[in-house]
Amino acid sequence: MLLVIIAFMTLLFTGMPVAFAIGIAGALFFPQHLELPLTIPVQLTVTQTQNFALLAIPMFIAAGNLMNETGITDRLLKLASVLTGHMRGGLAQVVVVLELLLGGVTGSCIADASMQARMLGPEMIKRGYGKGFISAIIANASLITIMIPPGIGVILYGTVGNISIGRLFAAGIIPGLMMTVTLMMAVSYFAKKRGYLPEREKRASAGEIFKASLSGIWALLFPVMLLVCLRFGIFTPSEVGSFAAVYAIAVGLLAYRELTWQNFKRALEGSVVDTGGVMFLIALSAIFSYGIVWERLPEVISNFMLGISSSPTVILLVIIAVLLVAGMFVDGAVLILMLTPIFLPVALKLGLDPVHFGIIFVLAITIGNVTPPVGSAMYAVCTILDVSVEEFIRDAILFILAIAVVNVLIIWLPQTVLWLPDLIFGK
Amino acid sequence: MKKAYEFICRIEGVIAQVTLFVMVVLVCVAGFMRTLGHPINWAVDMATFLFAWCCFFSADIAWRNDKLIIVDAFIKWLPEKAKWYIRMIHYFIIVIFLAYLIVFGSWLSYTTRARTFQGIPGFSYTWVTLSLPVGAILLLITTVLKIRRELAGGANALRQRSEEAGY
Amino acid sequence: SKAQSGQGGTAKQEEAKKQYVLKFNHVLGPSEPYHEAFLKWAKNVEEKTNGGLKIEVYHSSQLGLEEDIIEQIRQGANVGQNTDSARLGNYVPEIAVMNAPYFVQSLDEVAKLKELPTVKAWMEKLDKEYGLKVLSFNWVQGYRHFLTNKPIKTPEDLKGLRIRTPGAPIWQESVRALGATPVALPFGEVYPGIQQKVIDGAELVYMNVNGGQLYEVAKYMSETKHIMLINFEVISSKFFNSLPPEYQKVLVEECDKAGMEVSKQIMEKYEKEAKEQVKAKGLTIIEDVDMEAFQKAGEKAYEALKLTEVRDKIYGELGKK
Ligand code: NA
Ligand code: NA
Repeated sequence: MLLVIIAFMTLLFTGMPVAFAIGIAGALFFPQHLELPLTIPVQLTVTQTQNFALLAIPMFIAAGNLMNETGITDRLLKLASVLTGHMRGGLAQVVVVLELLLGGVTGSCIADASMQARMLGPEMIKRGYGKGFISAIIANASLITIMIPPGIGVILYGTVGNISIGRLFAAGIIPGLMMTVTLMMAVSYFAKKRGYLPEREKRASAGEIFKASLSGIWALLFPVMLLVCLRFGIFTPSEVGSFAAVYAIAVGLLAYRELTWQNFKRALEGSVVDTGGVMFLIALSAIFSYGIVWERLPEVISNFMLGISSSPTVILLVIIAVLLVAGMFVDGAVLILMLTPIFLPVALKLGLDPVHFGIIFVLAITIGNVTPPVGSAMYAVCTILDVSVEEFIRDAILFILAIAVVNVLIIWLPQTVLWLPDLIFGK
Repeated sequence: MKKAYEFICRIEGVIAQVTLFVMVVLVCVAGFMRTLGHPINWAVDMATFLFAWCCFFSADIAWRNDKLIIVDAFIKWLPEKAKWYIRMIHYFIIVIFLAYLIVFGSWLSYTTRARTFQGIPGFSYTWVTLSLPVGAILLLITTVLKIRRELAGGANALRQRSEEAGY
Repeated sequence: SKAQSGQGGTAKQEEAKKQYVLKFNHVLGPSEPYHEAFLKWAKNVEEKTNGGLKIEVYHSSQLGLEEDIIEQIRQGANVGQNTDSARLGNYVPEIAVMNAPYFVQSLDEVAKLKELPTVKAWMEKLDKEYGLKVLSFNWVQGYRHFLTNKPIKTPEDLKGLRIRTPGAPIWQESVRALGATPVALPFGEVYPGIQQKVIDGAELVYMNVNGGQLYEVAKYMSETKHIMLINFEVISSKFFNSLPPEYQKVLVEECDKAGMEVSKQIMEKYEKEAKEQVKAKGLTIIEDVDMEAFQKAGEKAYEALKLTEVRDKIYGELGKK
């Protein structure tokens, strides 16, 4: 596995497309294990495309492209300008708030990030925001969906660890809101530092807001409609993206009448390129994680690290450190499955509440989606917006810190996690 | 020859777009039908089946349009010539990898034929597995064309440089 | 590799012997009785072979998708998988009959199955034609019941209900025969699916309800006992044949033993415990189910999949009915 990691780093840093670098390096594991058939890498790659949860990615990409072509995005942006134009970095704040809304509907950050990058990214570039800044805020904001129910990570933890999923869902809401707040604070700080000017001098009048809302009503209704579809049980979180795309077509045809055959074809062409860039990388990365699971690396490292100290604070810090480092290389779902049975008993021994620990645990793993060298949300946004990873990282550090602050705060203040579930389900 | 390739590219684009659109429609309709009490269980199966083909065809389209992301922070300060050599080495490795995917992908498609797709009788999983070797053939063609272009370009650039140097 | 080094036997000459590693995958969580049983099987095999054959157990499908692993097994990889007759039915279609409604109803019947000439021939075919060596199918997961938000007493009560079930035809037809509308969803989608009313319920064993916290979103468990789920422990024939004969014997015997033991514990203890636990969490248990009506309804599954003849043959050999 060492060879795999060295090969990956070499190929990656010499500028091979990440998708190929990750697949080729991962495949080097197999000649070292002759007991394994050489067809496994093929199988792993194909199986990624049969994953129900990943189906959300092309759907949301298509939705994003269609909304751009049908006039929904334009109107949403007009409304956003009216509402936030007087703030520095107003559109970036819109990204965060929109993600909070989407978070209540979807469970996968990659799909959300892809859609937002496609919808809001190009317009933000036009309005003078830095590309690194845009991609960093979109990718980091997408992590909010993991905490706001429904979230796949929390369900996995609850299932493996035998913890109430209802409680976990409720427990994620306040940390999700805290992430929203810290990210918005980071955005204002950044906008000031970068000198992003407000688009307008003062707040819009009520009349202006009303007018913009009216013209943007179908755009505004979009997250509401998704939520309605989900709550009425028409779609699962993995399927709801299909409705987003169909909704965009319907609004473009019936309400705004901006959807032409030409637009429609352009939306599909764009979606195919985006899907190819994002999904090929995700599909091939399965080859890379296979060796890590086969050799049980996260387990081995965790058990070793846990032996270092017996002080509860140190152990908790060790756990967080292991999760952050492991999250750099391995997909979140795999880590939750592998490490829940190892860390949960330790956390219980330390006297932590399993729901409290679960939220800390899932949030720490989630950050891996935006950290190099393997971070699906990061690569998805960078692929769609044509942003270099270097630019991304430079601006993402502050946002990652903003999320890490939440991770630390919820360790110190268990009530931020436990108050809501206790209120709903009793102690 | 060139015409044939352009035709293949067009077909590939159309298939990728159509599969994507059909996936969206199938999943959406399946959701509504399930709510109405008439679930179409094959719809989501069909969507994941199309997903495989859409993914690998789209991957080739992205590769042809240079839309696969790279990390260039560490090489961008290198001289053009060094970058050119690194790129050629990469293409060479990619060709080997794609050839491997084609050979073992075809072999797996063959050996996996007894496995049914989602347990549907008569629908072999081979049709899903085949998406990767077929996609890899297209990716290989794209890579070879990239190499050819680079070689032509590289030769031109070298000739140009020698001319500039007064040889 | 790392897994093989440092696993020396007790005696010196043992260390010179070739060491074998089997990586065994299953879809269940680490707190399920099966996981414990697999670990015990692994421990016993390692002890009895003086560390010559080591089994590493992977829970929650970490090694990959069940269907993929079965294909890897066919190609001779040193992996194993806990699977069901619906999946093996992909290769030898008649085996699917063991997944049909009310096929067997006690552990004794299951234990007798492996002695039947017809079943033996199926296993032989899996081994010789497909490279799938079934070590044991003494593993019973307990009775499957319906988990819904309304009480189910007769097949009519299931009418119009969208019930989640695995995707294979035998599962779909079984649920349809019993009166419900089958919906194929991954297990992980069941909780949010019931919560958001994407589905009206699921059919599963008590341990699943407890493990998946499903009592939080459903109100009733109706004890229809419609399937006694038999599991199969499968490894590669090629790998199996490469083992020394004494290892082969230990591997099979210990697997049978561990399976029988955990199945007994499930039927006698865990199922009751899980039932008590979900009851305490507020799930209402419906016990007065019209079993006769359900058994009659289940017939339709055999007819739809043309398995009636196969079943009658097995029943004949079993001396049943
Ligand atoms: Na969410
Ligand atoms: Na990462």
